Amino acid sequence: MQKENIVELKDISVAFDNETVLDNLNLQIKDKEFITLLGPSGCGKTTTLRLIAGFLEPNNGDVVFEGKKINGVPAFKRQVNTIFQRYALFPYLNVYENVAFGLRVKKMREAEIKEKVTEMLKLVNLSGFEKRSIDTLSGGQQQRVAIARAIANHPKVLLLDEPLAALDLKLRKDMQKELKKIQQQLGITFIFVTHDQEEALTMSDRVVVMDGGKIQQVGTPQDIYNEPKNAFVADFIGESNIVDGVMLKDYYVEFSGSKFECLDKGFSPNEAVDVVVRPEDVDIVPIEQGMLTGIVTSVSFLGVHYEIIVDIGGFKWMIQTTDEHFVDDKVGLYIEPDAIHIMKKSEYSGLYGDYSSYSEEHDLLSEPLEVEE
Amino acid sequence: MNKKSFGNRLIASPYIVWAAIFIIVPLVIMVYFALTDASGTFTLQNLASLGRYKKAFAISILYAIIATVITLLLAYPMAYFMTKLKVSSQKMIMMIVMLPMWMNFLIRTYSWITILANTGIINTFLAKLGIGPLKLINTPGAVILGMVYDFIPYMILPIYSVMSKIDNSLLEASDDLGANAFNKFKKVIFPLSRPGVISGITMVFVPSVSTFYISQKLGGNKTMLVGDTIEYFFNLGPDYYNIASSISLILMILIMISLFVMNKFSDDDGGVVI
Repeated sequence: MQKENIVELKDISVAFDNETVLDNLNLQIKDKEFITLLGPSGCGKTTTLRLIAGFLEPNNGDVVFEGKKINGVPAFKRQVNTIFQRYALFPYLNVYENVAFGLRVKKMREAEIKEKVTEMLKLVNLSGFEKRSIDTLSGGQQQRVAIARAIANHPKVLLLDEPLAALDLKLRKDMQKELKKIQQQLGITFIFVTHDQEEALTMSDRVVVMDGGKIQQVGTPQDIYNEPKNAFVADFIGESNIVDGVMLKDYYVEFSGSKFECLDKGFSPNEAVDVVVRPEDVDIVPIEQGMLTGIVTSVSFLGVHYEIIVDIGGFKWMIQTTDEHFVDDKVGLYIEPDAIHIMKKSEYSGLYGDYSSYSEEHDLLSEPLEVEE
Repeated sequence: MNKKSFGNRLIASPYIVWAAIFIIVPLVIMVYFALTDASGTFTLQNLASLGRYKKAFAISILYAIIATVITLLLAYPMAYFMTKLKVSSQKMIMMIVMLPMWMNFLIRTYSWITILANTGIINTFLAKLGIGPLKLINTPGAVILGMVYDFIPYMILPIYSVMSKIDNSLLEASDDLGANAFNKFKKVIFPLSRPGVISGITMVFVPSVSTFYISQKLGGNKTMLVGDTIEYFFNLGPDYYNIASSISLILMILIMISLFVMNKFSDDDGGVVI
């Protein structure tokens, strides 16, 4: 990735009414990449997007676009376009006029506008919808109009603020693929904001995990998933068992009362660490072959696999397996060295990664997530 | 919900009776008087003779249009800037706008006499500076001023209520798509506030065109508006009820035509907001 940075955020701080929203944030966004800002409600991801769009000025720090500082440049002069959470289509204009809005403002010739709008509607599969009024369209169609309206202006950067949050699952999956396709076809930078980790992993070149107004980790989806930097990232991206451990020496860690070989090094001897083991990386084996032993306390069938909670010395592990087991079975666990990931202790240590309150957490997760304002 | 239950009808019945007695019956009486002579026989003579009042109609419509335009020009920016204030200030200004409406309309109009009269507040002040007296009262300007003053809240309220509901993300979308302040107003704010403007115009134009008291008090009986003409004939006694009714009928028809035209304008936006 030797591409130039198109957007840079330098030492950005934002506070509303003395409440810190972004805390000394630094981020470089490369030209033509698909980057996702991922985090829970209130983590500052939408605020970051609004800084780049120009709807908000930072209290401290610089927003840099193509090497030039653009603090104070009003939104209408910036070469970025936004797809808003609830689309923000003009209700009194039809589909054609919505898409033509930015072009008319630029005083483009009528023939050019027509050509451009037709091309854009074709790109988003809405040919023939020109004369339709906005309120006769479904959510997915409105979404497409919003995309066409934004990219008709040839932005260098497209900002997407949870654009798929209002769509149902099936439509969301289709739109994910379509957005990715459009991004590759047009070759422009997409900055995508979401709270949906799966969406972030499938679509992005790079993911920026945020929490509490700070960037927790930046990396490719694989990096973020396989090498989380702290307990927050490990927990937010996918399921994780996070246990306290002690790094005895390089490539050798102790947790849950046993010693394991691992692939991590560079810690001081006997340093306290957080150990992450993904539920799909644990094998259930007969008890005598197990590196750890425990008792099954809950089994749920999820179609592709079973999700099993195993109590190991009071700490509950989640394990995903295709073999059926039963509650109260005594089982052994086998963990390969490359399934173990070691993280330095952080402010998030001890907050995540225990499935003791599993059933409650599951209920919480199945509720629709709140849409960030 | 096409078929209304008996219960619903029962609940609605007091209103229906009320509407029949106070809206429909008077209208029928008015149409009856307009189409009969003093002896009660059918005639179109009253309507045919209305040509001689066309000046009153023309002046009424002209004054009402001028008053409506001035009201709109004052109220629109006011409503716009109100929406930019903090919510507590908006409520405060709203109170101030509505306050005069709690006072009797006649008293409010009358108070302008003391301000505009030759010995009134303005001229007394000007005399101290060695200017005047200016002729302020008993002029067309004073009549239009009275209309603007009395009816401006009916313009501010609907425009403000529509503007304060404009979705901020639409304004951001306009910025985002490159529209400068002028284009944002022309292409987004104005179209979105149009239903309020149309309600406001209707609510100011209709009472202005039919008003009668303002012109007598502030215009000095020099300009007979339609409303004054109707009142004049009713005051002359029962023999003149027929001609007064026929003028009322024509005025009502004119107002209904203008409402119809206004509604045509607002149809695309889903009806007038009052």
